[in-house]
Amino acid sequence: MIDVREISRRFGNTLALDHASFRVEPGEIVALLGPNGAGKTTASRIIAGILAPSDGDVIVDGISVRTDPNAVRRRCGFVTDQPALYERMPLREYLEFFGRLYELPDTGRRANELALLLGLADRLDARLGTFSRGMKQKVAIARALVHDPPVLLLDEPATALDPEMARTLRDFIVSLRARHRAILLCTHDLDEAQRIADRVVIVYKGRVAREGRVGDLRAAGRDTYVATFAGDPERARAALNGVGIDVLSLTQEVRSLEEAYFAVVSEAGGGSPVQPDRRKGVDA
Amino acid sequence: MKYAWQIAWREIRWEIFGDRGAIFRMAIFAALPVAFVLTNRSPRIGEIGIFALALQSVLFPALSGVALISSTFTQEKENGTIIPLLASPVRDVDIVVGKLVGMIIPVFSLCIASLAVYYVLAGSQYGETRVAAALPPAILYSLVVVALLYLLTAGSWVLIVAALVRTTRAGQQVAGLLIALSVAVFAGLGAAAAQIGDGYALIALGLLLVGSDVVAVQVARRVWQREEVLARL
Repeated sequence: MIDVREISRRFGNTLALDHASFRVEPGEIVALLGPNGAGKTTASRIIAGILAPSDGDVIVDGISVRTDPNAVRRRCGFVTDQPALYERMPLREYLEFFGRLYELPDTGRRANELALLLGLADRLDARLGTFSRGMKQKVAIARALVHDPPVLLLDEPATALDPEMARTLRDFIVSLRARHRAILLCTHDLDEAQRIADRVVIVYKGRVAREGRVGDLRAAGRDTYVATFAGDPERARAALNGVGIDVLSLTQEVRSLEEAYFAVVSEAGGGSPVQPDRRKGVDA
Repeated sequence: MKYAWQIAWREIRWEIFGDRGAIFRMAIFAALPVAFVLTNRSPRIGEIGIFALALQSVLFPALSGVALISSTFTQEKENGTIIPLLASPVRDVDIVVGKLVGMIIPVFSLCIASLAVYYVLAGSQYGETRVAAALPPAILYSLVVVALLYLLTAGSWVLIVAALVRTTRAGQQVAGLLIALSVAVFAGLGAAAAQIGDGYALIALGLLLVGSDVVAVQVARRVWQREEVLARL
């Protein structure tokens, strides 16, 4: 379990995190969302025991990062956006090296298990420099799991992965949730967060701006609609305002080539071909 | 310090013996003094000359260590591989000591091997009696100690540079400057050290290196704290 309690972190005069608090329970995936520079990476590094907070504390599996950061590191697996591997080492040696740093009794057996789990068993003796980007990211995940940690911190793990590999990675993360791990996923990919996260924490300029279940956040606020019409936009705005409807945005739609094609065919007397459904919503 | 040894062994096995470029660089620095001996067949070479060549043979391989130490630290930063190390339950001092030791052990071994090769070659070129007189055991021991101190000192200073620069190239450029400076110093040092106090001026050089080393390690300890390193990533 991760319990982030009012943490702040300064780098010189820059306040990267400002009294941020949230929790991640075992068997839960929480997405830490925010734009670049919001403080996601700083938060994940503090939780992993890599960085000390300037203020506040983080309790990981009952242990404070302030009092015993080494014990916290033993309980966390940390994956960054870059695989960051020693590329001259073969996979087996690499996993065994990190296994020894975590004082595992049988590093060879663990390396075999992880390679099998991630579909890399046939590459155990290949140098990491020969692996594809997706395979390298798998190795980074294997490294993070080498000591079977109860807490997993994933900082933009799907960056630069192709869609197929990103999907494989998502499925794997979801399978880890079933094994009762507390998973924090730092990302700015809203689609990824929506697909796999149970809850979302939105950080902005170092502060927690909103926190809640994905469904609750999506349902928050008043319902809005999109209308498509042809004609004078200012008259449409005036008309809607006239009947008490607020127009929040009014943007000209740029037609795709496909839409332009169908319009031309229709105007040329080619009938009214069936157009693809471009948008789900309420038709005017 | 068991973690430091794990890190040191990884450096030796995979970053030195797994890197042909590193082996090639070390071989060049080790071959240079041998070439000096083989090309210098002058029967007039005196004890000063024999001593100066011995100093070069023990210190030239150490110069390759400066470049190696620089690249091992800057590459860790540049490639981000320092992050998984920092995320593991390893103390900062274990990382720094492990990487330094991992670079120093093979290079220092090469220094000793180079001096041994020089001793044998010089004996066959200039006469065993003359070489034994110019290089008594105390002098040989001093040369080995000076080489170790040089490696430690240069390694510590390079460590500081590696923490401050962002790229491997910048680190290598500064290491190159340090190597050039060292060559310039050593070129004149052999004659000077041998002329002053029968070569025991090396002790003064040793003390100078120790003093520099203490300062360098103190500065390195500060700049390689994980907070400082991460702030520069």
